[in-house]
Amino acid sequence: MEKIVLPDIKDFHKLEVYLQHGGYSAAKKAFGQSSDDIIDQVKRSGLRGRGGAAFLTGLKWSFMPKTTDKPKYLCVNGDESEPGSFKDRQIFEYNPHQLIEGIIITCYAIGAKVAYIYIRGEYHKWIKLMQKALDDAYAAGYVGEKMKEKFGTDFYCDIYIHKGAGAYICGEESALMNSIEGKRGYPRVKPPFPAQNGLWGCPTTINNVETITNVPPIINKGWEWFASIGEPKHPGTILFGVSGHVNKPGVYELPSGTLLTDIIYNYAGGVPGNKKILCVIPGGSSMPPLRGDQIEGVKMDAESLKAAGSAIGTGGIMVMDEDTDLVKVLARIAHFYHHESCGQCTPCREGTGWLEKILKRLIAGKGSVSDLDLLITVANQIEGNTICALGEAAAWPVKFMVERFRDYFEQRVSKEISLPVANKVHSMRHTAIPVEEIKH
Amino acid sequence: MPKIIIDGNEIEFKQGQTIIEAAKDHGIEIPHFCWHPKLSVSGNCRMCLVEVEKMPKLVIACATVASEGMVVHTQSPKTIAARNAVMEFLLINHPLDCPICDEAGECKLQDYAYQHSIGESRFVEEKVHKDKRVKIGPRVMFDAERCISCSRCIRFCDEIAKDSELTFTRRGDRVTITTFPGEELDNPYSMNVVDICPVGALTNADFRFKARVWDMSHTNSICIGCSRGCNIEIWVRNNEILRLTPRHNEDVNSYWMCDHGRLNTFKFVNSETRVNSPHIRKEGQLIRVSWDEAFAEAASRLRTFGKDQIAVIGSAYATCEDNYLVSKFAKNILGTGNLDFIRHIDYSFADDILRKEDLTPNSLGAELMGVKPLKNGLNVEEIIKSIKEGKIKALYLIEDDILTADPEIETYLAKLELLIVHAANFNQSTNFADIVFPAATYAEKNGTFINFQGRLQRIRPAVATIEVDRALEGMALSRLDKFGTKFDRWAQGKHFDARATWKILTSLSNAFGSRWKYKMAEDVFDEMVSSIPELKGLNYDIIGDLGVQLKLEKVNVV
Repeated sequence: MEKIVLPDIKDFHKLEVYLQHGGYSAAKKAFGQSSDDIIDQVKRSGLRGRGGAAFLTGLKWSFMPKTTDKPKYLCVNGDESEPGSFKDRQIFEYNPHQLIEGIIITCYAIGAKVAYIYIRGEYHKWIKLMQKALDDAYAAGYVGEKMKEKFGTDFYCDIYIHKGAGAYICGEESALMNSIEGKRGYPRVKPPFPAQNGLWGCPTTINNVETITNVPPIINKGWEWFASIGEPKHPGTILFGVSGHVNKPGVYELPSGTLLTDIIYNYAGGVPGNKKILCVIPGGSSMPPLRGDQIEGVKMDAESLKAAGSAIGTGGIMVMDEDTDLVKVLARIAHFYHHESCGQCTPCREGTGWLEKILKRLIAGKGSVSDLDLLITVANQIEGNTICALGEAAAWPVKFMVERFRDYFEQRVSKEISLPVANKVHSMRHTAIPVEEIKH
Repeated sequence: MPKIIIDGNEIEFKQGQTIIEAAKDHGIEIPHFCWHPKLSVSGNCRMCLVEVEKMPKLVIACATVASEGMVVHTQSPKTIAARNAVMEFLLINHPLDCPICDEAGECKLQDYAYQHSIGESRFVEEKVHKDKRVKIGPRVMFDAERCISCSRCIRFCDEIAKDSELTFTRRGDRVTITTFPGEELDNPYSMNVVDICPVGALTNADFRFKARVWDMSHTNSICIGCSRGCNIEIWVRNNEILRLTPRHNEDVNSYWMCDHGRLNTFKFVNSETRVNSPHIRKEGQLIRVSWDEAFAEAASRLRTFGKDQIAVIGSAYATCEDNYLVSKFAKNILGTGNLDFIRHIDYSFADDILRKEDLTPNSLGAELMGVKPLKNGLNVEEIIKSIKEGKIKALYLIEDDILTADPEIETYLAKLELLIVHAANFNQSTNFADIVFPAATYAEKNGTFINFQGRLQRIRPAVATIEVDRALEGMALSRLDKFGTKFDRWAQGKHFDARATWKILTSLSNAFGSRWKYKMAEDVFDEMVSSIPELKGLNYDIIGDLGVQLKLEKVNVV
């Protein structure tokens, strides 16, 4: 199977290797066409955003005003802060030039002269790697004013790497723009949407790192080629970050629509000890979890997962085996969203803390079955009532996990069941719940 | 005009208005905390979530622009559920300390808890704890636990006071308000955050713990701190002013007033330095005397001077009614043309928000009432010069301190043969006065001021003097005024023996043998209306609570 985003080519991150394999030829090709043509090709390719919402990329680009006296901007979202998601850093490390090439093509298509790559602050190493690649591209004339000469075009754009400061919320597109502007990372009330009123109040497009990295191959090989890969309604390959109770955790680039069970059992090597799967979160921690008996036949693309009762999210697949304490898992997830809630709007600010407190109480053996109903109503009171999607991100795991594992939770709160203290879920190693508070 | 339908009522809206604005214009209040008509939209409290047909989710009425044919439901089950949810969330970490909170009684959170909440909490966890009793600025106290993070105070500083001092810090339910490093909340308008704070998080350091708001009466009035004439309410308990708050008037002060006006223009009313009953200087000492004795003494001594030996100084602190009779008294009774008032100008006080350089409320009024030198008469500078030269031997000074006009005059005041002063408080001028009439303050009388724009505005009595009965005069009553018995210590407030300047001059003129028949300030105003063309057709009812703009030839007294 051909890999589009993370090809198996040694030293592909180096500019000379990238160039040997046709690097920056897509940009050259793109600059020979009109920006409308580029948008049209991306539209027809069916490329959908890889940051979580799976919105049609070409359609998003077409929202940018054609005539405006304001500068236009491109923001590339590499905040990658969703727990269970670790795919974009592979691109920063192994294929930075394809990202850069994607950025200059996108800038050309939407008419932006400046692009910002927003990378989470915790990615020190990857920020350095990305900066190195960008410096090389600048030096070689593939970015910046020298582009005109290199590509023989009037168009040029600049790219800046902006380092985040450790807030999940800055992965939300409008909070990301505020963060770049030097403001507190608060999501903005929408509308207006970024295409009308984005960065510095100017028309702005925000795309995920992986999304943009898909652009050069689409231009080079044609939209028909891309549209034929994987599921027709969500074509292309997707980077699946598999973590948790699997033998070979890691990032797997596979065509959309690959079976979830195929990913877990074939690519990721199955569950250690051949244990049963209790729960899978298919798209990063904010997406609705699936029970072990719900995953059979589920294909990994936006439409199929929606039909299965979850969502593709960032493609971060978290696998939990039968010995996992789901109350602790949920408490840890709730802790994350409580900790990361920006505190701007009431339901999320107050509700996320409440959810965590209830769940901690359940862990401490001081809960009751009525608390499960309370968890669901509190989650429902957050969902849909907030400024940004962090409300849903916090509410969904709680709501769906309690609903889908009702028997498990009822049993868990009615008596203190014995479970090994050592939690085997990788992402749970650094649980914030003090061990002394956990009674077994 | 385009229309939307709110709860079945078709209402018109102006293009660009949000749902909450359109609703407000038609008297429909959509519950809200963070939205304020004069601040930018932050959309954070979520209290104004409403159901709009054909929209997938509830939307916030404060940020959703109305469009033709939009159908809004503010009382649908979905809307009410969202509102209850927001209220429950806001209250889970709120300390619920209403019994000791200054805001109680005028608290949006408290009001909405009654109106829009199920009245029970399912929250059994420990509340988040935050800082208490933070002196966030010299005049404002902050209780972080009460704060609902609506950001009104932050936006006020940024957008109205134009002095960014406040910001949020931390995240989630740990979010709190703080000042920027090295800053404190000390802009000249800082106390407005207390008014716009929908809860008891920001409180007035001066008023804290002084009274429950429902124990106070509140009376519409005008601030006397400068010639802006900010519309205010005077809050009184036990016949004592405890605080002033701004009153909305879009043509004058919007929703705001400055801290100077709020803090420095009412304490003299209940001060120890109040002149209580008339005084006559006997053997070098000011001695309390009856009103009749004071009038008789003043009339007989004034009669001994020639017209050119007398000067009268009116006051830009006094009302139009007062100044009208000052003018009439000078011209008709004393027959002098040496008539003027003292200007109090300080350019360093002015800003481009509300504050004006003229530190008196009624300069234009004094001028329009004819308090100015007649032909061949002396103005203030000339009066002072003539006092120094010994040409002026008797000075009649209304509600002002002549030493503020010229400190050097002090040594000459003793040389005056007669100095009569109307004063609310003893001051440097009363030190030299032969007769002192106790003047009622702006908070104790009816009357009008004309602000720097030429806007005529009313003041009303909020504090009763000895001759005034709150109930009989139709003054605003507090709960205690209404129900307090004579055994109730709250109803035993101090009453001063003071009268409005117009009233003092009426009695004094009659001691000269004239027949002035003014029983009320309104009687004086009615005569002003007939003799001053600019006031034609006006009466107190027309002036109302928001004032009327006069057409004046000259609108700047400076």
